[in-house]
Amino acid sequence: MSVSAHATESELDALWRARPRSRFVRVSFALFGLLLVGSWFVGDFDFADSFSDTRARNLDRFLDEVRPYPLRAPGPDGTLEPLPWDWGVFGTWAQQRLTDGVSDRDTPGGLESALGTLAISVLAIVLAALASLVFCGFAARTLATPRPFAPHAGPAPWPRRLAWQVVRGATRIVLIVQRSMPEYILAFLLLAMLRTPAWPAVLALAIHNCGILGRLAAETIENADPRPAVALRALGASRTTIALTSIAPAILPRLLTYFFYRWETCVREATVLGILGLASLGWLIDEAQVSGFRYDEMVFFIGLGMVIVLAGDLLSAIARRIVRRAS
Amino acid sequence: MAPDLRRPFPLGPRGFVLAGLGVAGIWAALYLGLQPSDLTPSTGGLSLARDFFARAFSPALSSEAAYVPDGTPGLLALSLRAAVTTVVYAAAAMSVALVLGIVLGFCASTAWWSGDPLGGRTWFGRTVAPVIYGATRVLIGFMRSVHEVLWAVLFLAAVGLTPLAAVVAIAIPYAGTLAKIFSEMVDEAPREASHALRAAGASGMQQFAFGLVPRALPDMIAYAFYRFECALRSSAVLGFFGYETLGREIEQSFVSTNYGEVWTHLYVLLALVLVFDAWSGRLRARLAR
Repeated sequence: MSVSAHATESELDALWRARPRSRFVRVSFALFGLLLVGSWFVGDFDFADSFSDTRARNLDRFLDEVRPYPLRAPGPDGTLEPLPWDWGVFGTWAQQRLTDGVSDRDTPGGLESALGTLAISVLAIVLAALASLVFCGFAARTLATPRPFAPHAGPAPWPRRLAWQVVRGATRIVLIVQRSMPEYILAFLLLAMLRTPAWPAVLALAIHNCGILGRLAAETIENADPRPAVALRALGASRTTIALTSIAPAILPRLLTYFFYRWETCVREATVLGILGLASLGWLIDEAQVSGFRYDEMVFFIGLGMVIVLAGDLLSAIARRIVRRAS
Repeated sequence: MAPDLRRPFPLGPRGFVLAGLGVAGIWAALYLGLQPSDLTPSTGGLSLARDFFARAFSPALSSEAAYVPDGTPGLLALSLRAAVTTVVYAAAAMSVALVLGIVLGFCASTAWWSGDPLGGRTWFGRTVAPVIYGATRVLIGFMRSVHEVLWAVLFLAAVGLTPLAAVVAIAIPYAGTLAKIFSEMVDEAPREASHALRAAGASGMQQFAFGLVPRALPDMIAYAFYRFECALRSSAVLGFFGYETLGREIEQSFVSTNYGEVWTHLYVLLALVLVFDAWSGRLRARLAR
């Protein structure tokens, strides 16, 4: 459809009618919109209860108890009244939380747990990346075929085509199942089998992220410029040689970007997995709440988790910038 | 290959990052004191694992509990009801997160302010606009830095168990993430159409709405669908904290060692995520064209 510099009304009209349209996209939009709006009518959202006086009183009491314990004192009617804010008192209390963890409970200190959270996330994402590198080659349509990067070779005999199709399909199913399972549920199931404080968290994160990184890596391979690989193939290079010398260097920068994005998520998830009783900040958050409702300490550890997450985001942004500059 | 003599350091920046990752991984394993030998389950864990995985191909179709009170719905009905609740929480959270994400995302994009939607060279553009921009970015970072499960734990402690709290708990970090990604997508969208509109005399708001946003829209829609898939998982996990989603059924069945039931619920969750994954995957392919 060509339009002259001064399009007439009818030309514009024809252009408008020839615009790309898809019934699938329209139906999807309608369904999705219906789902979003309809959920508010289907769900048992009791607004009267959510904003009742009881809830307001709960919130009021919670906000009182979030104030660090040493900065409160028994008032005339026996409840704890806030004392004037004192940074010194707060500092001592915060330091105790960093070294001793939850007061009167046998937990590691906040600093140790924070480092543990980081360690879990780092080990998990490194393991996930290593595993996904193995998977991605077998999931990529361009590489996992009988005659990769040989456009003029003609179709391979059907048994080999079928064999590769099976390999590719199986790899994709493994990846999709890995990423469909929430980390928390994986860790919950693994914890019952492996009674070490860190492995269930590491493995749960590694399994879920291997599925995601593997899919993304396979897509990156499929979208990579095929010309160097075709040239190598024409010179007689094997599939492995092509993968290692032509594809790997081409996709590395993008893979590193994905890697760091996923690591940011891993730090968040690693914090939470501690709630199951694993060696991360979540453990302290859960202990503080379950044992005697120490909301001041719970909020402190959630704040510590925020610091870790923000530090991770910053580190990841720096690393991604280094990778981007280099490529 | 001959070494590149212009480089003072034998590793390039990328090699440097890779080496750093290796060192970080080893540090993490040492810090956690992990041994590969710990990966073999203990005797108790091994028999549990055997019992559990033995049921993978024979999920339960009816309740495995020794005593089932009269009037309890069947296992499949229970699982489906939990699945519907999972979807409802995810959808309600997503509807809030989308609206917030779009508003915050536009406020946090440089294109919104540099395209002078409200007249960037005015007094307002020089003083108030940068404050709104910066404040939005800080707010987004704050919302994103606390995981939805921790928001849920906070709300549980603050107001108690109410379904609305679960929805808000998911909606807060999701709105932050959507806003961050939306702002990046708008900022990285091709600018030609917006420049052409400016040349034709369009206002800043018009350039943004009709030049920039339509270019970023397919990516934004695809990402919103992907986040809905994530919301399904988050909503399921909130079941572990007392909400009536699939996570609760999984936990209860597992704790009462009814492993066949666990697999039933796991397969329902898997089906839920897979259906949505296939739907959003097809939509992405259509939108990319």
